[in-house]
Amino acid sequence: MPTDGARRALVIKAAVAAAAVAVLCWIPQQYGLTQTNLYAEALVLSVAAMGLNLLTGYNGQVSIGHGAFFGIGAYTSGILMLDHGWPFLATLPVAAVLAAAVGAAVGFPALRVKGLYLALITLGLATLFPALVSKFVKSTGGTSLVQLYKVRPKPPTWASSFAGAEDQWRYYITLVVAGALFVLMLNLVRGRFGRAIVAVREHEAAAETLGINLARVKISAFAISAMYAGVAGSLAALVRLQANAGQIEVFQQSIIFLVAVVIGGTATTLGPVVGGFVVVLLQDRTTELIKDKPTLSPALFGIALILLMYVLPDGLVGGFGRMVTRIRRRMFAGSASDSDTT
Amino acid sequence: MHDPRDASTGSRLKGLLRPLAVVVAAGLVAAACGGSSRDSADKTTKTTASGGSTDTAAPIIDAANCPPNVTTGVDGDTIKLGTSLPQSGLYSAFSEILRGEEAYFKYLNEELGGVDVAGTKYKIELVNKDDEYLADKTVANVNSLINDDKVFALFDVVGTKNNLAIRDMVNEQCIPNLFAGTGSPAWGNADYPFLIGSELVPYPLEMKAFFDYLQENKPEATVAILSASDDFGRSYVDTFKSLVEGSKITVVKEETYNPEQFDTKSQITSLAATKADALIIGATLLACPDAMKNVDAAGWKPIIYMSGTCTSKSLMSMAAPAGDGVLSVGPLMDPANPMYADEPAMKLYKEKIAQYEPPEVDPTNGIVSYGWTTAALMAEVLHRSPALDRVSVMETARTLSGVKDIGTMLAGQVLDVSADDWFLGEMFNLVQYATADGYFSAVGSMHDESGKTESMTPPDLING
Repeated sequence: MPTDGARRALVIKAAVAAAAVAVLCWIPQQYGLTQTNLYAEALVLSVAAMGLNLLTGYNGQVSIGHGAFFGIGAYTSGILMLDHGWPFLATLPVAAVLAAAVGAAVGFPALRVKGLYLALITLGLATLFPALVSKFVKSTGGTSLVQLYKVRPKPPTWASSFAGAEDQWRYYITLVVAGALFVLMLNLVRGRFGRAIVAVREHEAAAETLGINLARVKISAFAISAMYAGVAGSLAALVRLQANAGQIEVFQQSIIFLVAVVIGGTATTLGPVVGGFVVVLLQDRTTELIKDKPTLSPALFGIALILLMYVLPDGLVGGFGRMVTRIRRRMFAGSASDSDTT
Repeated sequence: MHDPRDASTGSRLKGLLRPLAVVVAAGLVAAACGGSSRDSADKTTKTTASGGSTDTAAPIIDAANCPPNVTTGVDGDTIKLGTSLPQSGLYSAFSEILRGEEAYFKYLNEELGGVDVAGTKYKIELVNKDDEYLADKTVANVNSLINDDKVFALFDVVGTKNNLAIRDMVNEQCIPNLFAGTGSPAWGNADYPFLIGSELVPYPLEMKAFFDYLQENKPEATVAILSASDDFGRSYVDTFKSLVEGSKITVVKEETYNPEQFDTKSQITSLAATKADALIIGATLLACPDAMKNVDAAGWKPIIYMSGTCTSKSLMSMAAPAGDGVLSVGPLMDPANPMYADEPAMKLYKEKIAQYEPPEVDPTNGIVSYGWTTAALMAEVLHRSPALDRVSVMETARTLSGVKDIGTMLAGQVLDVSADDWFLGEMFNLVQYATADGYFSAVGSMHDESGKTESMTPPDLING
């Protein structure tokens, strides 16, 4: 019975989602500051990866410059908080809008440039951004580092029962924002816009004949994707209590976003979230695995990624999906043969 | 790709199941968020703190706002210290500092029985974390060192930006951050008593030494300056320009480079066109050899002064032969210089590095001996402290005077700090590199600029 099956699947999904939310809520209750911050970082990476996934996974446009949008978000929040005394949450929409605007501007060349060439343009963005920051931002000690420790948000009294410590409060803010953006993304990709960007990825000419406005779809994808990266940057400024954009950081971040998308599973809604957590935890857990040989940790992380890609080429969520399909098929085949014999 | 069927079946069933799912989820969420099983001891991020000082004679450190955890990190006969420095990535050359530090602490623990603090011997344990020179990672590392490892103090955290990134946090929590591994003048900022710089020469003093050299050898020199386009670079440029006022030395051209990159070719080309008598390289790491090679390639022969942050053996060998005759500063004996080979302190250092560190650690690398000496300085501060608590140790570090013969310090060198003078490395040699020898040698007698750093540094470099 398909309805029964679907209902069962939905119940399972609802239960898994509830359990996931419960676990995410429980983390800062169970762990101390270091781990809570680490999981908050995972949420931050998930948000950035969700955005990049929209662009790269669903729309097929490769960007290795999302670290710049991330930085725009971080600096917008950082400067508004430190120099203008804004509360963190008020800086979020500004960061989102700014990042989206820059994203839309970068989206224009994407109308003509594709694939590797587009990747190079975005790489240019990742190189340009730190140079601009080091030229125009003079903050802590005259460096481009914006230090937010002194203006960090304090947990309100009503939240003292579950978020009495500052790191817990920062985690929950991050969780709520990430959750909202996840739901938004879910609706985006399942709606008309989602189908349109996939159509554009698959065949531009065909999509156009269906009445899809290519320019609008591509630029929107860029803008929304940049907005996600910008909000992730804002959240990172909150979690780390600083905004920073070195050449290495911005480039590394752009690559890590891509890694999270690919590890999780491109063009899946859950993939970037899973990827975000896996990447952050894998990086952390491989760091001190070999004592006194810290140069080997990045290598371990790399080997783990290669193995993962080798075993699950379509990412964790893609691989899991295949496994579920296989099990279902086997169960269905089993029940079919059962009904045959009776 | 998501499965479009999910959406359609979902909408068919949502009337029945979605509310149920929402209720279940809400219940689980409430249960997870509400019940706080987290150990309250973990909540070390305090918004308020009560006074916990036991030290009444503390004129510099005001401990009134410090949390009452002044002896955290002292467990039995062990003092736990924490450090964060690049051990992998582009800047991993700095990890050699750790080799020197570890060798010293092993020597101290195993052969001297530890450090004597107020009549009791304590072993020193150093917890190290890799930050790849990235300020974000330094913050995460230091958070972990304070909250998980529960260290007593931070020791020789490397990098200006990295120390700036943690200074609000460690200052508010009253964690001593002893001997930040950078010569930034920002460590003279009186708002941050819990951070003190190391024996490295403060960058503005390097300019004083070079200015004195030019006054003596080329009093009408024209000078070109290459500097990093950040505060580090400004420490050189602004100080030198204020020093030359009223003298016959003139700054003819300035160029800056992006400190995140190491390419200086176009800047050097433009500076070389001036044919200036002297060039100041206010740069660090790979930009130093790059600039020297570009100067050489341009056929320009100025007197070169290079930042003291570049006086490493590996960087100089990259510049060879363009680095011949380059001037810089040396706060310690250069372990590669045979002149110091018979000094007992140098012999001890080389012997212990060979004994406690793997053979690939090169004792003639100045970075290793810097680590060794800074570790010895740490032990000296602990030894001088009247009591083993954070405030007393910090107060001791803030009032160090007459520090001499520590690690591989120069003969006759005495380091002091006081309430009015927060800079330690104010006695040093002007040194010159000889490519044929492969080491730096002192030029003239030792410079003594004790107490002068603050007066010759533009105030915003200290308090910015």
